[in-house]
Amino acid sequence: MKVKKLFAQAEDFLNSDNRKRKEKKKCLIHVLKKLDKYEDKLNERLRDAEDDEVIDKLNRKLALAQAQQKKGRVLMKELG
Amino acid sequence: MLRKIFLPSILLVLAYGFWISPDFKEISAGVAIFLFGMLSLEEGFKAFTGGLLENMLRRTTDKLWKSLSFGFVTTSIMQSSSLVSVITISFLSAGLISLAAGIGIIFGANLGTTTGAWLVAGFGLKVKISAYAMPMIVFGVILVFQKSKELKGIGYVLSGLGFLFLGIHHMKEGFDAFSGTLDLTKFAVDGYSGVLLFTLLGLIATVVMQSSHATLVLIITALAVQQITYENALALAIGANVGTTVTAILGAMSANVEGRRLAGAHLIFNIVTAALAIGLIYQLTHVVDIVSGWLGIGHDNYTLKLAVFHTLFNLMGVLLMTPFINPMVKFLEGYITAKTWAVSQPRFLHESALEFTDTALKAVRKETLHLYDNAFEIIAAGLRLQPGLVHSDMPIEELIRTANRGDPIDIDERYNVRIKGLYGNIIDFISQVTMDMTVAQTEELFELRTAGRDIVEAIKDIKHLQKNLDVYMVSNNPRIREEYDAIRLQLATVLRGLSLVREQGDDSAAILSLDNLKSEVDYSEAKIISTVDELIRNNRISPEMATSLMNDSSYAYNISSKLVEMGEALFSSGSPDLRDAERSIALEDDEIEAVMLLSQNKGSIKDA
Repeated sequence: MKVKKLFAQAEDFLNSDNRKRKEKKKCLIHVLKKLDKYEDKLNERLRDAEDDEVIDKLNRKLALAQAQQKKGRVLMKELG
Repeated sequence: MLRKIFLPSILLVLAYGFWISPDFKEISAGVAIFLFGMLSLEEGFKAFTGGLLENMLRRTTDKLWKSLSFGFVTTSIMQSSSLVSVITISFLSAGLISLAAGIGIIFGANLGTTTGAWLVAGFGLKVKISAYAMPMIVFGVILVFQKSKELKGIGYVLSGLGFLFLGIHHMKEGFDAFSGTLDLTKFAVDGYSGVLLFTLLGLIATVVMQSSHATLVLIITALAVQQITYENALALAIGANVGTTVTAILGAMSANVEGRRLAGAHLIFNIVTAALAIGLIYQLTHVVDIVSGWLGIGHDNYTLKLAVFHTLFNLMGVLLMTPFINPMVKFLEGYITAKTWAVSQPRFLHESALEFTDTALKAVRKETLHLYDNAFEIIAAGLRLQPGLVHSDMPIEELIRTANRGDPIDIDERYNVRIKGLYGNIIDFISQVTMDMTVAQTEELFELRTAGRDIVEAIKDIKHLQKNLDVYMVSNNPRIREEYDAIRLQLATVLRGLSLVREQGDDSAAILSLDNLKSEVDYSEAKIISTVDELIRNNRISPEMATSLMNDSSYAYNISSKLVEMGEALFSSGSPDLRDAERSIALEDDEIEAVMLLSQNKGSIKDA
């Protein structure tokens, strides 16, 4: 079993396409998590905001972050 | 002159030696094969430097013990302190590690080289290693011809080890045959004069072969067949240690001031350690006997005792010098100083950074950031803003109000002094990055080159903008003054936004917020255009003023867009893979436009 696992790991290491895809997916997950946190912060600020101009700016930022999230999720699906 | 006659003399002496002694020929061939093996090993490890080594260096050099361990472990694995020195100098030149961390690595590497002596004395001389060498070379060469970078790297490492083993075998065989015809121990010299003479010989041998490891293997194989005395072998080992510094000094010649400081630290370490080892050689041999007894090494097993000695005196050096790393850093920083120039000089572009694609890319990135720092001052000054205040928390509107309205700055002069030469150096350096690059690395280099061009073009645009800005900032017409302040506000917002993103370069969300900065630029540009229309319609500004305003708003838009694009390429401090992920999520211009349109429609429905 251990030998099988070792072979699988070695194959994984030498299969650079697969490795690169996994690495890309890992990085995308990392970026999407950061975006989640950023969106939470924007929502928090939006709840406290009273000035119309500030609300407008925050809404625009939020819309962009959501579009980026959407784009990221599509890419994740493509990577499988 | 000396250089010119050095190589032919060496070749002549060797040729004469080969003619009179076939055994000498075999020993020399052994050394040559061994050195070739080291070259191959280095080539193999270079294949794994892309990203992996960089990440390791970043994680393993934040504390002194980690730097020491990194130097020890990598040198033990790669069996080449020269390669570790070159990599360290290259990373130090590119500003990736501190001088103290670099010194730690070098100290660790000195200890790491001692594992070589153990391997050769403990394994190489006892086992018929040539039996392992042949299959290693065959498998290695097959792998070298593969396309995959990793397999190629493994191939070079494998064949490198094979050649090392083969080299040791030929040295051993050569000395074995040699001992039948000639007894070199007749030339042994006793006492301190012998110690000094053989230290010098060890030093010369290492300088010629450019490898203390090769010298040490030669000493061990000669000692194994009793062609040199144990005492003289110890002195030769000390000399080999000092000789290895020459490689580091040669490597540092093309490095920046940090690289030269590191070579200085290496020299101090090896000279102090060698002086101590020579001074205490008899006491040390006594300690070696005791330690060998503990380790169960036979009294007459001089090769392993030499390995013990080599480890002990390097360990003594590390233990003795490590507490002095910080004073050493201070001393070297005071003694080896960088030249100060009126004209901006490159800080990170050095030949040593060209050794590896990763360090070359890092150097270009850092130097382009340096170029941006210089450009930032010029752009801020061109807008009559104080650069320090742009970085501060002061509200942007207040920043515009408190701006300096004194004499205009000479942007051409500042461009010549702070930008032109530096940009030329970056372009020149990029043209020298000729090593094999992956597609991703080629793209990164292209992006960095574009970022540099964006910075230069932004300066040229600010020069055009400044002409009217200086006139209309003090105009009697309050509306034109307001509009030029709006342009300044737009650019100041971009400059501050970029500073904030740069500060959080490790946060992907901050990098992606550059999309928001782009949308803000579009938004304020649209606002300026609609205001200009209104001002012309109502005859609030003259047609000349309107033309200037339209042109200058276009310059401001170009400057903003170029700087934001530059920020996208330069500010992310993550790994190349992370940068790639950030870029793939970042929105294109039409996507931003669509999002903004949708958000505007939502706003108008709400208002209705």
